[in-house]
Amino acid sequence: MESLRDDCMTRFNANTIRTAVLNMAYHGATVHVGCAFSIVELLAVLYRQHLRIAPTDPQWPGRDYLVLSKGHGVMAQYACLNELGWLSDEDLARYFQNGTRLKGLADAHVPGVEASTGSLGHGMSVATGLALAAQLNQTDQMCYVLVGDGEINEGPIWEAALFASHFKLDRLVVIVDNNGFQAMGSTDEVMALGNIEEKFRAFGFDAVTIDGHDEAAIDAAYAQAKTARNGKPKAIVATTTKGKGVSFMEGDNIWHYTRLTADTHAAALAEVAKPKRGVL
Amino acid sequence: MRAAFSDALVAAAMADPKVVLLTGDHGYALFDAFRKACPAQYINCGVAEQNMVGVAAGLAKAGFRPFVYGLAAFVPIRVLEQIKIDVCYENLPVILIGDGAGLVYSHLGTSHQSTEDIACTRALPELTVLSPADRFEMAACMKLALQRSAPVYMRMGKSDCGDVHAQAVSLAAGEVLKVRSGNAKLALLATGSMVSKALAVCAQGLDAEVWSVPCIKPLSAPLLSGIAARMDGIVTLEEHSTSGGLGSCVTELLSQHSGVPVLRLGIEDRFSSHCGSWDYLLTEHGLDLDTLSRKIQSFARTLPGR
Repeated sequence: MESLRDDCMTRFNANTIRTAVLNMAYHGATVHVGCAFSIVELLAVLYRQHLRIAPTDPQWPGRDYLVLSKGHGVMAQYACLNELGWLSDEDLARYFQNGTRLKGLADAHVPGVEASTGSLGHGMSVATGLALAAQLNQTDQMCYVLVGDGEINEGPIWEAALFASHFKLDRLVVIVDNNGFQAMGSTDEVMALGNIEEKFRAFGFDAVTIDGHDEAAIDAAYAQAKTARNGKPKAIVATTTKGKGVSFMEGDNIWHYTRLTADTHAAALAEVAKPKRGVL
Repeated sequence: MRAAFSDALVAAAMADPKVVLLTGDHGYALFDAFRKACPAQYINCGVAEQNMVGVAAGLAKAGFRPFVYGLAAFVPIRVLEQIKIDVCYENLPVILIGDGAGLVYSHLGTSHQSTEDIACTRALPELTVLSPADRFEMAACMKLALQRSAPVYMRMGKSDCGDVHAQAVSLAAGEVLKVRSGNAKLALLATGSMVSKALAVCAQGLDAEVWSVPCIKPLSAPLLSGIAARMDGIVTLEEHSTSGGLGSCVTELLSQHSGVPVLRLGIEDRFSSHCGSWDYLLTEHGLDLDTLSRKIQSFARTLPGR
């Protein structure tokens, strides 16, 4: 079933995903562009090279799980699900419009979305339950959960971390999108997180910090997480840039909330359409 | 009633290895039999109820049948959002058990009392809400809960009020169970601990019909309106707030089908003021036998046709 790994490596191209996000956000007149852009490479490498799924059946019981716990980044996932064919071009084109099925936050009624996570701090517990199920069933299913750095303000994240460590869920991989911002400002200003890697290590995780936009580094971290059967859950703290890929969005938290105009849409598209070094 | 719960739980787990029990570090003696019979299906989630419900949702998505146990003050009250989003929105077959519902933890105070759980849970789509009165209803509720491939909340209140049925009962979703016939054109609809209180009121000389409502949601409008059509008045009794509980369910349903007067007896939109025994707090809230009897008799005298 590892058919995606046989696919052409040009799939899940970061520029293509960002282009799709810009078009969704512009035509749907929605926000959260910066939040989606910081996780593009993290999702792209996962879908392209690691996530074991059945191309024609999102509910295949043997699948690896991906829970997008920071549900406000969901446009990036919708773009990936569109590449899988689980969402149509029309789904994306009509994003955020009346009577459509794609909402502004991750929703488990959408094929390929495992949990409904607009409220923060839920996805990691659901993912932990999925990982426990895999352990009880003695399968080798991986369970990835992508959380935001601001999201780890939420208490249940740490309840789940204790649980995952106690029950030795070593196929649970927590990916922290450490873009340094949350809704109202930088994480340092709002609720300082300190050393996230050390925090997860203190909870009993194998923890590593990587450049969350370096696809080779991401690939290596996922590969390591998959192979280390040592009784420890895994944490990958991905240092990312909110708004990554568009110069006037990068590091500017206003793109948590700002809608694209015709001008900013065109300018952003022009930037993400350019091939970047190291990106296919 | 607690033994009936444990028996049904152990039987379910032994029959189906996908049945697992999650507890928030509660239920020490209650789960002795379960831990002995099915140790691999027992998961103590620690004092972390929010995570416990999320984990249960994940397990259910992967084909397990989780029971989630906690004190009613915590499951469902503390974890209401997890129940709404993680469990109900996906219609996952998670069975939530809220123990000590009502005023059971009387001496411990407001933190451990739960007089709002029906109101909160019955507003959640997909969720079945159960409230057994005795061991026979507990067995029937457990059977019904396991039959439904959907979320269930079962409130387990005061457990030693004695039997209200003479023998085993069967329960379908929405059904109410008659526990006493009467010639007065008055029906008492009660749930949980208040079913035995309703019977006790009648034993003092009120010849009313008494119905137990072990299934708060769904609740059959045709069944209720059928009862109401024969009555001059209806009284609801619950160890729960009168805002949003059984009385609210009954009046909401009957408002479209019947003009029969309804007296709602329960806890009237306030916290308990004092420390004390369960009986003491029932009295504080006017749910002791004498006060109930007086209020019901007084209501009966106001009814038309009397």
